[in-house]
Amino acid sequence: MWDLRLPSGLFFTLLGLILCLTGLLAPGQRAPLTEANVNLYAGAGMLLFGGVMLWLGLKRS
Amino acid sequence: MRLATVDYLIIALYFAFVLGIGWLIRKRVATSEDFLTSGRSVPLWITSLAFIAANMGAQEMIGMCASGAKYGIMTAHFYWIGAIPAMIFVGVFMMPFYYGSRARSVPEYLRLRFDEKTRTFNAVTFAAMTVFSSGISMYALGLLFQLVLGWSFTASVLLSAGIVLAYTYLGGLTSAMYNEVLQFFLIVLGFTPLAILAVHRAGGWEGLASRLPAVMTHSWSYMYSPSANPMGVEVFGLVMGLGFVLSFGYWCTDFLVVQRALAANSMTAARNTPLVAAFPKMLIPFIVIVPGIAAMALMQMGVGYSLPPKGSGYNYDLTLTTLMASFYPSGLLGVGLTALMASFMSGMAGNITALNTVWTYDIYQGHIRKGAPDRHYLLVGRLTTIVGTGLSIGAAYLAQLYNNIMDLLQLVFGFVNAPLFATFLLGMFWSRATGHGAFSGLLAGTGAAALTHGLTLAEGKGAWLACLHEFPSTMAQNFWIAIVAWTTCFLTTIVVSLLSRPRPASELVNLVYGITRLPPPEPYARWYQRPGVLAVIVGAACLLLNIWFG
Repeated sequence: MWDLRLPSGLFFTLLGLILCLTGLLAPGQRAPLTEANVNLYAGAGMLLFGGVMLWLGLKRS
Repeated sequence: MRLATVDYLIIALYFAFVLGIGWLIRKRVATSEDFLTSGRSVPLWITSLAFIAANMGAQEMIGMCASGAKYGIMTAHFYWIGAIPAMIFVGVFMMPFYYGSRARSVPEYLRLRFDEKTRTFNAVTFAAMTVFSSGISMYALGLLFQLVLGWSFTASVLLSAGIVLAYTYLGGLTSAMYNEVLQFFLIVLGFTPLAILAVHRAGGWEGLASRLPAVMTHSWSYMYSPSANPMGVEVFGLVMGLGFVLSFGYWCTDFLVVQRALAANSMTAARNTPLVAAFPKMLIPFIVIVPGIAAMALMQMGVGYSLPPKGSGYNYDLTLTTLMASFYPSGLLGVGLTALMASFMSGMAGNITALNTVWTYDIYQGHIRKGAPDRHYLLVGRLTTIVGTGLSIGAAYLAQLYNNIMDLLQLVFGFVNAPLFATFLLGMFWSRATGHGAFSGLLAGTGAAALTHGLTLAEGKGAWLACLHEFPSTMAQNFWIAIVAWTTCFLTTIVVSLLSRPRPASELVNLVYGITRLPPPEPYARWYQRPGVLAVIVGAACLLLNIWFG
């Protein structure tokens, strides 16, 4: 049976990349009540989470 | 709210992954047990995250955020009193009997412990409840997406139900559970930024507390009288009604959650499933309830955030989505909405997989066709997935047409669920309890619940027989209905059991405490993997949270 950490890790890595790219390519895009580049920060968090899951899954396999 | 291309891309990516997981798992399904019970082969971290994800439906996320805005941190009682103690109890005391008896479902345990009629009563009411619960949840999601995004009700309902159907049909319970874990991660990672941004904008917890009445930021200090808090409940009603009867009734006997623990690959893993799940469960209020409280503080600050009005108050159900629109730009907005869809899907898949097992094993195999080859039951399980999804969609449309009927059904199901924990408590811990006792107790408890509702009034609801008492809120009424139903079932079961013939003790091994030798933890289990140790750690952490936010 394959390790669920691999597809989960891949999903969040891709999601993190999409958000980071959105944050970098459209840095002016802001929600009404915040000045932060939310996409970039949240994307980095997801990229980190996805990376750790992938690393754990690959280490085991 | 308008979505951009990147938001649609994220939604599509999520759909592709959940379907992909179902596709990969399909090869693993060879027997009905693989499909319906995962063949008792799932590792602990997956069973425990699926255990809470199956319970985190879209209504829960939207409803808890709304209650956070309406009642404040007191809403966390639904977690810290209304879930954690019961999760500890089911892991430490009840799981040895569920798992050790090798019952494939909760109703099957009732047949082994009591008799066929008690099992059938539980199986039929549970099956009806799952169909209507997922239908009501689907209706809520369809309505929300129609209101917020302008999507068609039919398109939202059919798309989300179709995807759940596809991955559940392909891989059964394992596929549903694997996806529930992915959905759990997405819900947590998708909602956490919202909590951080909203609380930060409101000036942190201190700033938030300074802008709101003290009752909004204290969970226990205003529970001394129903008139002192907006929930209209007092300590006894809360602890006995929610903390004991309703919470234990749900977490300890509802097959939707118990099924996840039964899929575990060992007795220790099954017992640890609710205990490990309790850690994230007690932190969920910080990502769903706290943003709701922050929303009220933001309204006081006049920064441009407001909830739409409804009647004389606000439309609290829109708290979560209006916060998302205020704090999430395109991109993260797609993630937030996908997380909302994920919560709906995990809840719906939980209902459908539990329905599959109960219908196939407890109703079909028990009453319609016994002794058929296993591949026949596998086919029945797969077909039930299709029929169950179809019925849920039907229930969603029924809810759209007749809103009041759904209110009534939810009420009736509350009557049925409330006394159930008394039956299990006596069944597992008192060998003298009999099948006649359990069945009459359940009927009497359900009747007592209906009678209490008929004789009491709250917010204009109930008192359809006469009005003997008026409760300050429907929540207080629900808690007291549960207390009366539980007590009636408990006493009736004892009296009727004493009047009927008990089963010999030899037939109750692995089913009743005292007659069964509790299994020692597996030799490889380290000290922190022992259910007793985990239970103490979980209990202490939950106590600390209650004191901290008291």
